[in-house]
Amino acid sequence: MTTQPETFGKHRWGMTIDVDRCTGCQACVIACQAENNVPLNTEQQYERGRAIAWIRVERYWEGEFPNVKARFIPILCQHCENAPCEPVCPVYATYHNAEGLNVQVYNRCVGTKYCANGCPYIVRFFNWWEPVWPETLRNQLNPDVTVRSRGIMEKCSFCQQRIRRGVRQAARESRELRDGDIQTACQQACPTEAIVFGDIANPETRVSKMRKDDRAYRMLESLNTDPAIVYLAAVDPDKAATGEAAHG
Amino acid sequence: MAGSAVSAGAVAFVACKLPEHELVIESPVEMPEDLVRGEDAWYATSWGDATGGDGLIVRVMQGRAKKIAGNPDFPVNLGKQSSRYDTALQSLYHPDRIQQPLARRSKGGVASKLSWPEAERRFLDVIEQSDGKIVIVTNPLRGHLGLVATQFAGLFNGRHLAFDPVEQGVLHTAVKKLFGADRLPDMDIANAHTVLSFGADWLSTWVSPVGMSVKYGKFRGQKGHGYLVHVESRMSMTAAAADRWLAVKPGWEGKVALAIGKIIVDGNMVPAANSAAYRAHLPAGALDRVTVNGVAGEANSGISEARLREVAVKFAKSTPAVAFGGGSAGAHTNGTFNLTAIFALNYLSGAVGSKGGLIFNPGSPVVGVPDSARGASFEEWERELAQWRAGNVKTVIIRGANIVHGFPKSVDVAGALAKVPNVIVFASVLDDTAAQADLVLPEKTFLETWGSDIPEPAPGYQALGIQQPVVGSALSVDGTELLTDSRGFGDMLLWASGGGLGAADMRELVRKASDSLYDLNSATDSVSAPSKDLFWTGVLQRGGWWDTKSGVAQSGSATSAVIGTNPDGALSAPPHGEGEVFTLVPFVSNAWLDGRLAAAPWAQATPDPVSSAVWGTWAEVSKHDAEEMGIKEGDILLIRSTVGEIEALAYPHPGVRPGTICVPTGQGHEHNGRYAEKRGSNVFAALVDQKDSETGALAWAATRVRVQRKGVTTKFTKFEGNVEAYPIEPGVPILVVSPGQSAHEAQEENHEHVKREISERAER
Repeated sequence: MTTQPETFGKHRWGMTIDVDRCTGCQACVIACQAENNVPLNTEQQYERGRAIAWIRVERYWEGEFPNVKARFIPILCQHCENAPCEPVCPVYATYHNAEGLNVQVYNRCVGTKYCANGCPYIVRFFNWWEPVWPETLRNQLNPDVTVRSRGIMEKCSFCQQRIRRGVRQAARESRELRDGDIQTACQQACPTEAIVFGDIANPETRVSKMRKDDRAYRMLESLNTDPAIVYLAAVDPDKAATGEAAHG
Repeated sequence: MAGSAVSAGAVAFVACKLPEHELVIESPVEMPEDLVRGEDAWYATSWGDATGGDGLIVRVMQGRAKKIAGNPDFPVNLGKQSSRYDTALQSLYHPDRIQQPLARRSKGGVASKLSWPEAERRFLDVIEQSDGKIVIVTNPLRGHLGLVATQFAGLFNGRHLAFDPVEQGVLHTAVKKLFGADRLPDMDIANAHTVLSFGADWLSTWVSPVGMSVKYGKFRGQKGHGYLVHVESRMSMTAAAADRWLAVKPGWEGKVALAIGKIIVDGNMVPAANSAAYRAHLPAGALDRVTVNGVAGEANSGISEARLREVAVKFAKSTPAVAFGGGSAGAHTNGTFNLTAIFALNYLSGAVGSKGGLIFNPGSPVVGVPDSARGASFEEWERELAQWRAGNVKTVIIRGANIVHGFPKSVDVAGALAKVPNVIVFASVLDDTAAQADLVLPEKTFLETWGSDIPEPAPGYQALGIQQPVVGSALSVDGTELLTDSRGFGDMLLWASGGGLGAADMRELVRKASDSLYDLNSATDSVSAPSKDLFWTGVLQRGGWWDTKSGVAQSGSATSAVIGTNPDGALSAPPHGEGEVFTLVPFVSNAWLDGRLAAAPWAQATPDPVSSAVWGTWAEVSKHDAEEMGIKEGDILLIRSTVGEIEALAYPHPGVRPGTICVPTGQGHEHNGRYAEKRGSNVFAALVDQKDSETGALAWAATRVRVQRKGVTTKFTKFEGNVEAYPIEPGVPILVVSPGQSAHEAQEENHEHVKREISERAER
């Protein structure tokens, strides 16, 4: 089956991440690597600052011992409506599709890295080397996902291949797509349900409702990139006492 | 004219418009992501070796396993997973899987390849010649594999011993003493308003971390947010998630729990019946002997009296409130005292057997199949190894237990193994113990074999997870050859028993279990089918069986009705010589656990949640100590106890109690495949062999060491710094709100704060 389904453009994909629930467990990170054939990050790649992680969990310290807190936040491509990475690509390797995805076309990319320079969220990764898997580990590569080669850029696709499967499965069963039919790998893994993905064009979906929460905010909102990912702020009872928890 | 001007304007507008193909750009070539490349199948299974009994589903395409995820049906983890599940896939396709049996002609000789018929003949010969002097060593095993290992040992008049380098025996003993329960209770975090946990990193590695994380998500989602207090000397994942982290001095956990109990009782904060129940489980006069002053303060537990009182009020007033502990809190010479004092708090909050508290579990749904497992105590192991050294054991068969790596160096397991004539090890990758074996038998992974697992803790009712082969055998990429010619451990024992265990293979055993569940004829279980065959199909499809109405067990009567008798922990004496004295607190790695997943490259590459360290061993020290000793990140530290010395890279951070040094378990293998061997240091080697005074368990968090800089600094391999992080505002990396505050209000508050700081700076 090829070509876009008839419903293409009807949905608009978005995500909500409840920072208050994130425990930093890394389940999303490894699930994403397994789902999307992200190359193995070797010791040398880490040391050179070249590790690839479509989704990462950042950890921040606040305060000093003993009143110190560690906070975690998962960060991935924000699939911005006004994506700074898109207009700078000279070969249209990155573009915005009709369903709100910021798409990377690997076979167009010539590796200028302009998009990475333009992205304020630092979620685009360049393949400095040809990814190498020992022969036997190639067995576990996901056949739905391109294995990227040296010299091109890659990033989170919102598990585009899962979206395709979900949409086509609904079409095959002659029904509307249901909320929850499509789960990104990071969402599926997250044990605390901090990550929720879905159609934000439909106000009845869980992800749409969560975006109206009082704790909702967008990352680097002042840049007006209009991300498709909405975060829900962490809740800290200590902040009520001091009013300064965020500043340690 | 007017019409013409309008027309000209329109033309000009159209001419300026971006071409349609630039607005909607489609890829000229379909990418794999745009295609649906055949059907996949998701098989349900379980993995008792490294989960608390979670259900899994495995995606299989063209005979290859592609991905592991949580089984959405299974009641423990409800479709969720840890980072370790996908990592486990690499055990199936690991490039260093042992391809065929290996044997040595003499101890320490060169291992040579054997055919399976030769290996089978040798296996049978060795067992027959053992004259009952045979020991089966495994990891703690629930389910049918545990049953087979125990029965096989019994069949040949031997014994089955389980090894767990990070012992949970103290935990089981505490639960038995206080509640009379033979298996761990379900901790109903989801319905608790207050959770008070000690030592146990339950969001990361302790007991049933995925199931407990699922509950944590619900706990945070409830009205009022829930309030979590965690007591541990290190900022673990659980401590990081806590609303209040109490950085206790190692070994003081039990006294802290008692002090909290005393504050509650003295303040009449709970109903009198609760206080009476609590007192009934303490030694006579125990509360009277405790003074808050004697526990609080930097000279004692390291926790201020104000904090103790604050936590006591929260625990007593914001109910349901549940207390539990484990991990480092039980790994002291007073470990049983610590854990019983902690769990006893549940009597005060009325949480024993109630919603939002401890829910006790019924026993195994299949007669004889173990529903609880723990390693033998360190003391039992010392006795056992003495038998090996004395030449009283002819054959040791080992599976899933890397005893050469996991014991303190002082135990000299390798020396004991050298005295056993026949050491047979089942392994998929040659590890430190397999490297000492006389016969190495390549073992199938959990993705290739039959079995079962009974969750511990169960979800409050009976449940059984089924383990089934999701692929036939691991094949090469082109499908022309087997990656390994291996056997399942259980299948091999059943075959060697010659029918003496009532089944030819593991599949038959599991099928019989399914039939017995069908015969229960429950109207409320997870599979409904008109025949045993269809029931079996249903069990396989759902990944197991559970019955939500199978009866919540009541706790039994406490065996001794008192908490542990030794309130005072003792740390080992530090070695003489140079360096500052620290308490060494090992912690189980979130990525590779105690080392059982270290062979997988994804495990090595998974950033540690706190330090973001990868591919090595690091030592977490407090910023305060680091500044005093001139320690910088990446300095190689020499960590020396009276029994051994290890090296680790320094990682100073503010989330460690000064005076403690925290090192992850699971590295420092001499053998464990290309990704793990000769990488990092083995913290177990440096532990002093002190024991819990009541259970004989290894007090693995009670070793004092001397720490000094080696004088060499190297690059600290970590994820942190690979990506530049931009705060959402200066000084505000993550938006935090107070309860009831909106994100907008918090942002306004932050703006004001930043503006104030800038103006103050300008004034200065």
